[in-house]
Amino acid sequence: MTTPILEIRNLHARIEDREILKGVNLIIPAGEVHAIMGRNGSGKSTLSYVLAGKDDYEVTEGEILLNGESILEMEPNERAAAGVFLAFQYPIEIPGVATMTFLKAAMNAQRKARGEAELLTPEFMRLVKEAGTQLQVDTAMLKRPLNVGFSGGEKKRAEIMQMALLKPALCVLDETDSGLDIDALQVVSKGVNALRSDSRSMLVITHYQRLLNHIVPDVVHVFSDGRIVESGDKDLALQLEAKGYADFDGAAA
Amino acid sequence: MAIAFPVRLGAAENTLIEQLKSVGADATAERITVAGLPTRRVEAYHYTDLKLLLKAIPPLAQAANEASAPALRIAGAYQLMIANGMIQSHATAPAGVIVGKAAGTALSTRDDVLVHLNGAFARQSLTLTLENSVDTVIQIDRRIEGLAAHAADSVKIFVADGASATIIETFSGSDAAHVGNHATYVALGKDARLTHITVDLSARAVSHFATNEYHVGEGANLRTLVVHAGAGLARTHVFPRYEGTGAHGDITGLNLVSDGQHADITMDALHAVPHTTSQPLFKSIARGRGKSIVQGKLVVARDAQKTDAKFMHQGLMLSDEAEILSKPELEIYADDVVCGHGSTCGKLDEDSMFYLMSRGIPKEEAETMMVRGFLDELVDPIEDEALAEALHGVIDGWLLGK
Ligand SMILES: Nc1ncnc2c1ncn2[C@@H]1O[C@H](COP(=O)(O)OP(=O)(O)OP(=O)(O)O)[C@@H](O)[C@H]1O
Ligand SMILES: [Mg+2]
Repeated sequence: MTTPILEIRNLHARIEDREILKGVNLIIPAGEVHAIMGRNGSGKSTLSYVLAGKDDYEVTEGEILLNGESILEMEPNERAAAGVFLAFQYPIEIPGVATMTFLKAAMNAQRKARGEAELLTPEFMRLVKEAGTQLQVDTAMLKRPLNVGFSGGEKKRAEIMQMALLKPALCVLDETDSGLDIDALQVVSKGVNALRSDSRSMLVITHYQRLLNHIVPDVVHVFSDGRIVESGDKDLALQLEAKGYADFDGAAA
Repeated sequence: MAIAFPVRLGAAENTLIEQLKSVGADATAERITVAGLPTRRVEAYHYTDLKLLLKAIPPLAQAANEASAPALRIAGAYQLMIANGMIQSHATAPAGVIVGKAAGTALSTRDDVLVHLNGAFARQSLTLTLENSVDTVIQIDRRIEGLAAHAADSVKIFVADGASATIIETFSGSDAAHVGNHATYVALGKDARLTHITVDLSARAVSHFATNEYHVGEGANLRTLVVHAGAGLARTHVFPRYEGTGAHGDITGLNLVSDGQHADITMDALHAVPHTTSQPLFKSIARGRGKSIVQGKLVVARDAQKTDAKFMHQGLMLSDEAEILSKPELEIYADDVVCGHGSTCGKLDEDSMFYLMSRGIPKEEAETMMVRGFLDELVDPIEDEALAEALHGVIDGWLLGK
């Protein structure tokens, strides 16, 4: 069997004194898209942050393997260079950092970490323009400070644009669909689907079955109280939509 | 009845008294004998207690024999140099610039020990007259070279009616324990415009003192930027005077302090006539056990109605042990004015840092990007690109030079 892109084994993590992830097990083979659905507060964003390496969380048990190698000891930037990308549920506004400067710094830092040559400006501009056109992020937006004054939907499109530019091995999308209008949902889904490939895996966190009509998952997982309680094919999402979570996690709705 | 006890004089004060007597400055020697160096009880020196901080004064500076490398190169700038208090020979000035010399300090007399000392020890002032719009950036490179020395120097700048210029002064030299006492006097004529930047890049062992006095005339526009990025002890005292209707000042400053450093910018501004405005904006970045102080005093004279002035200080702490102190002071004698002050202090936003790093940007680079963002307001208004780039270089160099 080939090594999966992502393997999470019995992952426990806490913030301050509160345990939030309580034994997550998940394998995503190369080329597959997995969806995670679950109640508010069940720990989905926590899982995404722990994958990306946010240091507010303490991993107390378990392992995260990316292409067979542990990433737990890596800094967030090292994980990014190794291929982890998190599209944030709430992208951060950073006044004072120009979007273009940021994109170039990110792309070049990853290239440098992988021992590749820096991008020359014309090539960089071409790539940004291409990704911008695809995700309908116009140049006026790129001239603004990072995410500052972007609408909710614009922020989400900008996240996927970054993903398209950085070409990660593992894409984690945390509620990328929330806040998107119908057209933007199409644009974003198209952008995400264009990135599907045999060498890339995706973990799509969502509350809505609707997104999964556009980004069709190979596997759907139900997340409850810090762990995966049920897994199935895409029809699981339809069942969830029809019945609610109670049937799956046993808790009262 | 108050009984005046004579102050106990320390080694630094005794040396100063001797040095003052050796140049015939008996009155100043007498002041120090009676009052000593200012302590925290003197308002303007509240956080920079000279009696405590100045342990020793090196011998008075002799002419310099060798010069170290320039601390900052600005592409295309016209360069002037003062080394150990003496004006050095220079290239032909650009059109509209007259370079000259005058005896003694350029500063106005005021009750301040560093001003008195500059008056006693500065033998000559470099004079610059700017007659019209000067596009070339002028750099005044002030050095203290050789063995540890107590050096005083002085510059006098006159910007004629309607003229404009950009001047940067840099302070550097050998890495001995110098005490530098630097003076700059600037007068702006009607509708004149000036950007005046002073950057301390002295060695850690140096004690750097500067006094910048500005007279801003009718309709004139002044932008200043003090950067402390070198000496272990640095203090710049800024005295803007708004003396003509429509005078405006953007008085800005930046303290960059690392472990063991102490930097102080103290502004004492006077709005003397009606309809003048100013926007003093200062920033501090401190790491290790660094200490940054910004004091801002706004005095509005009784006649100076419609004054609009707001003092602002923003601090960024890069460590838990750092100290950033801020003291605003308003002294308003007019009744129809808009004056205020504000200050903030915080750390780099962790969520922002995580966001940048999650995209592959290493911590130091992310920090630099955030700090550049924090400092944009100070560097952005500087129009000359080479100059702005040089200043970014100073900031980035400080950030990387942990
Ligand atoms: N800094 C924190 N301190 C304490 N508890 C926290 C902190 N951050 C998150 N939590 C808690 O962790 C739990 C999981 O939060 P998380 O954001 O992972 O949920 P989620 O599944 O993404 O929810 P949603 O669907 O609403 O986005 C919540 O109960 C939340 O309150
Ligand atoms: Mg969430």
